[in-house]
Amino acid sequence: MGKTDIDIREVDAIVESAGRREGDLIPILQAIQEKYRYLPEEALRRISEITPIRPATIRGVATFYDYFRLQPAGRHHVCVCHGTACHVKGATRVQEAVERHLGLAEGQDTDAEGEYTVQKVACVGCCTLAPVVVIGGATYGHVTPQGVREIFEEQRCAGRIQDSIPYAAESGVGDGPEIRVGIGSCCAAKGSLKVRDALLRALERSGVKARVRPVGCIGMCYETPLVEVVWPGSGSEPASAVPSALQGGWQSGGARIALYRQVTPRQAERIVQDLFPPAGRLHRGFRALGRAIDRIAIEERVPAGQRYELDYREGPVCEFIGRQVHVVTEHCGLLDPLDLEAYRRVGGGESWRKVLLDLGADATITMVKKSGLRGRGGAGFPTGEKWAVTRGAPGMVKFAVCNGDEGDPGAFMDRMILESVPYRVLEGLAIAAYCAGASEGVLYIRAEYPLAVRRVREAILRMEAAGWLGENIHGSGWSFRARVMEGAGAFVCGEETALLASLEGRRGMPSLRPPYPAEKGLHGCPTTVNNVETLATIPWLVCHGAEAFSGMGTEHSKGTKVFALTGKVRRGGLIEVPMGITIRDIVEGIGGGVEAGRVFKAVQIGGPSGGCIPESMSDLPVDFEALSQAGAIMGSGGLVVLDDRDCMVDIARFFLAFTQDQSCGQCSFCRVGTRAMLEILTRLCDGKGRRDDIDELESLAHQVASGSLCALGQTAPNPVLTTLRYFRREYEAHVEGRCPARRCAALIRYEISDRCIGCTRCAQACPVQAIEPVPYRKHRIDPEKCTRCDLCRSGCPAKAIRIETGRIEGKVAQP
Amino acid sequence: MSGSGLRVQIDGRNVQVPAGSTLLDAAKRADVSIPTLCHRDGCRPGTSCMVCVVQVQGLKRLVPACAYPVRDGMVVETGTERVLQARRTAMELLLAEHVGDCEGPCRRGCPARMNIPLMLRQIAAGRIDRALVTVRREISMPAVLGWVCPAPCEKHCRRTGVDAPVAICLAKRFAGEKGGRESGDWGMPPPRPGGRRVAVVGGGPAGLSCSLYLRLLGHTVELFEAGEQLGGGLCHSVGEGRLPKSVLVADIEAIRCTGVVMRTGVCVGVDKTLAELRERFAAVVLATGVHAEGPLPGPELARTPRGLEVEKGGFRTTMDGVFAAGSAVLPTRMAVRACADGKAAAFQCDGFLRQEAGAVPVPRFDSVIRRMEEQELREYAREADGHGRIQRAVSEAEGLSPDEAMREAGRCMHCDCRKAGDCRLRDLADQLGARGRRFKPAVRAAYSIERDHPDLLFESGKCIRCGLCIRISELRKEPAGLTFVGRGARTQVSPPTGVSWSGAILHAAAEIVEACPTGALSWKNDRVS
Repeated sequence: MGKTDIDIREVDAIVESAGRREGDLIPILQAIQEKYRYLPEEALRRISEITPIRPATIRGVATFYDYFRLQPAGRHHVCVCHGTACHVKGATRVQEAVERHLGLAEGQDTDAEGEYTVQKVACVGCCTLAPVVVIGGATYGHVTPQGVREIFEEQRCAGRIQDSIPYAAESGVGDGPEIRVGIGSCCAAKGSLKVRDALLRALERSGVKARVRPVGCIGMCYETPLVEVVWPGSGSEPASAVPSALQGGWQSGGARIALYRQVTPRQAERIVQDLFPPAGRLHRGFRALGRAIDRIAIEERVPAGQRYELDYREGPVCEFIGRQVHVVTEHCGLLDPLDLEAYRRVGGGESWRKVLLDLGADATITMVKKSGLRGRGGAGFPTGEKWAVTRGAPGMVKFAVCNGDEGDPGAFMDRMILESVPYRVLEGLAIAAYCAGASEGVLYIRAEYPLAVRRVREAILRMEAAGWLGENIHGSGWSFRARVMEGAGAFVCGEETALLASLEGRRGMPSLRPPYPAEKGLHGCPTTVNNVETLATIPWLVCHGAEAFSGMGTEHSKGTKVFALTGKVRRGGLIEVPMGITIRDIVEGIGGGVEAGRVFKAVQIGGPSGGCIPESMSDLPVDFEALSQAGAIMGSGGLVVLDDRDCMVDIARFFLAFTQDQSCGQCSFCRVGTRAMLEILTRLCDGKGRRDDIDELESLAHQVASGSLCALGQTAPNPVLTTLRYFRREYEAHVEGRCPARRCAALIRYEISDRCIGCTRCAQACPVQAIEPVPYRKHRIDPEKCTRCDLCRSGCPAKAIRIETGRIEGKVAQP
Repeated sequence: MSGSGLRVQIDGRNVQVPAGSTLLDAAKRADVSIPTLCHRDGCRPGTSCMVCVVQVQGLKRLVPACAYPVRDGMVVETGTERVLQARRTAMELLLAEHVGDCEGPCRRGCPARMNIPLMLRQIAAGRIDRALVTVRREISMPAVLGWVCPAPCEKHCRRTGVDAPVAICLAKRFAGEKGGRESGDWGMPPPRPGGRRVAVVGGGPAGLSCSLYLRLLGHTVELFEAGEQLGGGLCHSVGEGRLPKSVLVADIEAIRCTGVVMRTGVCVGVDKTLAELRERFAAVVLATGVHAEGPLPGPELARTPRGLEVEKGGFRTTMDGVFAAGSAVLPTRMAVRACADGKAAAFQCDGFLRQEAGAVPVPRFDSVIRRMEEQELREYAREADGHGRIQRAVSEAEGLSPDEAMREAGRCMHCDCRKAGDCRLRDLADQLGARGRRFKPAVRAAYSIERDHPDLLFESGKCIRCGLCIRISELRKEPAGLTFVGRGARTQVSPPTGVSWSGAILHAAAEIVEACPTGALSWKNDRVS
């Protein structure tokens, strides 16, 4: 690419507003990238001219984070999510289809017209919609290879690309019924904002007085977009005080609730018509006519037998929510995420006031210690103890950091919490900071969560305006300021020392612990680093007391845990369960098990640092110790259900590919060790495994686990070690050239059986002409040309195409 | 020291160290040696190579000693099997991404493992006497081999991929014939003191070679030749006109000058028995050539269909103190192979006589690039002489003129590592017995060499990402400095955007070259002495 014409004054202006210290470097680079879609060389040079930041530092940082590009990019970014849930649901095939659609050659990421730049992203946190593609800020869920053309067309028709989801605020009028629409990223991706608009239009037209309230994630992601309608109770209770049906709202006396799932804008109008029938006979007659027409239109789209009004008192909804306990998700689905007044009405802010004015730091720390709360970020370190160490560490300046760099593919709890209950997290952070003796707090939130970033920023402003944050809070004399720092795309920054390095404007390289951040953290000062979920638990804990919290859970794992339940499960979503619940209860009880005809094989718990627990062990309780004994970890709470079509070697390879790519590159064990492990796993999946590969892999995995510098490397072998422990047979099969799950492309072949009706659909679907169309005759697949993209099989009306495995002669053709 | 220190036990030794010390500091105090690569006193820890891992009682994982802070009462072990295995694995991982040659491929292809690139550099610099010393270190008869050697080294020469191999053999002949001419110095180092008496049987290339190196190793050597003439199989070459007699005589004279006593016309097995020799000498080396050609020196020795039986990979025969080398064991037509064999037998015999560990040189760890791409080769050749190979056959009477020799030697691309003799990575690989190919990726990283700095070279393939150069450039306040670019396995060391190496390193070159634990950063012009 040639020299670009960049206006140096723009760079100057960016630096002017971001600051000139090293800690401002990442925001500066983010702003430049935002402006030019990449980092032009002149801009980088200009930064080193007008700031004291060393040129070496600028280059090092610019090349460390995935978010930054040094090459010009196309006008629109196409992000294909390769999170765990997307992977098991076929992200690789979607990626191939996208590349085919744009005509990208090997190693190319931008199409010839400079229109689209395709990126693989680790996880966009919309796992229940897997596989997911994001084009220019618009999220598309349940993408199939066949559907790729469609989403590009839709995107093109949309003309101007909506670059972000607009902030939603409560709208409509009246004290009457309240209509709640989820506006989390997943809901929005499935069109909840359009549904909201349609509802508003319909209300306006029908003249009904009702409020449409945007609410945070309800957790029932598999049914999104959800619309809940609540009428005020028989008593004086206003509608807004009625809990969501999903939190047992039907139990509140006299309240009437209706719940709709998978609502489209079109159906939204009908909901209004149904629920609020207008008076007047004539009017009604017209409406009946209109409804008849409408129903036809709807029924075309809604598969037969699928009701769109949900019964929440029994059946699936009840199963889904029955076992859940809402601590962190207490007000999800009830409150407008940014309505501070509503938050205050449900008792929000009281805990912070109580800590500040009544309890004091020491008593609060004692309470948190007594509650048995352990960090929800993965390692499970006792939270109260962390605060106490930070508090006791010498130093005038201390910091509190909220770790919102939720990078685990397959996990999105923190995104949901930040998007849905930002005030709660901030309240928790304020308490943590106060207890630790820190008057400055930073929330480090990953850049892939733009909505969370925006909501938390806005929430800080509103809390400051209300006097909950800032100087001399509640007249206590205590001051606390919080700010948001956006990550720039590096999984390793979820490791606390790497996160702190990133906050200081450096490459996110972890450092050896000890010293722990609590002793020596941000800028060398004692720092308490707590996870989003941990902080969101604090207000509840302070409000209800240590006993209420420790009353839930097991001996060493107290309270509740939020999980992102995804993968091959019928009811995926965000759930909060008491510790000690068994995996089976989660998967089969809450999640409804796997799809009919499939077999529940294992759960992957804890993401790239966790492991696979086989179905046979699914009576294992969710508990820090029990999970780690089984070789997995609690992790941040990703729970991906796998069925018999999932190959465990492939799963291990998937995670190693991830950790290998995300390794910071500092220590030999992780930088080279993960790559060497990946190489062996790739060999196995490619059918080139050697006899001693399994032993070599196992021994290397142990070495990497015990020798790596930070938690990323130490836990990276877990997916390998657990699959080796529970599914060694499958590894051996791969050495013999078989993939029992029929997943690994090099070890399978597609064959057409006699059931073929000669409809030629497979031949038309095949992107590489591996099938010759022969109408009314049995078709044949050329194994040399076949890329195992599965398009023929998934489109075959006669189910005549089956997958065979075993060592085969022909190589897999490269697409 | 005052009592305020921290107590720590390392490998059973108790020491006290001041607060703030690392385990490595404590180990030094306890006189326990812990290997390091990325550590340097005065620099902040790199925690990158992880070869310094140790086991701390109560911790499940291993920790890097270079950065782990000592806490009072710690108990540390540094020599357990687990620790050693982890260190070896760490080394093997570092070596997996190490793209570089320790030795030149030519040297690897030479049966006598002569340091050919060094010889060529010495010739190119006009230091012919030094070149002869280099040859003589590994080859007992430089001029002779300059005439008759089939030059397997040239088949490995990387220059072949650019145009044609360097005329190594001619260059060696030049060194052998012209070296020492003016100074009268044969290029022989002074013999070591404290030797024993050794008999060498057979005056061919293997026997002569063995005698020379035994002599240089300090032993008193008597060489017995059954015929009247010394030279063995080489005499055929003289007869065929491939080797002037004077050349053979001169090389033998140089060996005689070191003090080897040469007795011709004494046939062991006829005039003297092997048992008699064994009584008079502390050791006997049999280099009697192909057996069909003469009487058996020792009928009591075990044999194979091809010659005398020796231990696997060595030279010991079935009789104590009796060694065999050259065609007596395995017939060879290549004089250089016989020479190499004789030399190796000399070292093993020396080890037997001195009964010391380490007397026999073991092959060093050798990192190998193998095949290189055309683009990489061109990069390699950039600073070598651009002329084509000199057109002259080895057997032509006219050898190279000094100018020709210098120019031809200048064609060498310096494939051998500039730090081959001073590489901490290589030393440690030897020490830990690391297998360099264990984790080698299927596709290796591209080789590149940065030449833009006036004094130093940067070969990224040899870099182990220890970051010492980066830390030093920070410490020494280099204005532009160096940085890691990229992440994970793609991490590289580089100057900032738009800055070259010459702009990045203004005054810390000496320190970073010295600190670099591998050949990644080296002086452009290495000394040829």
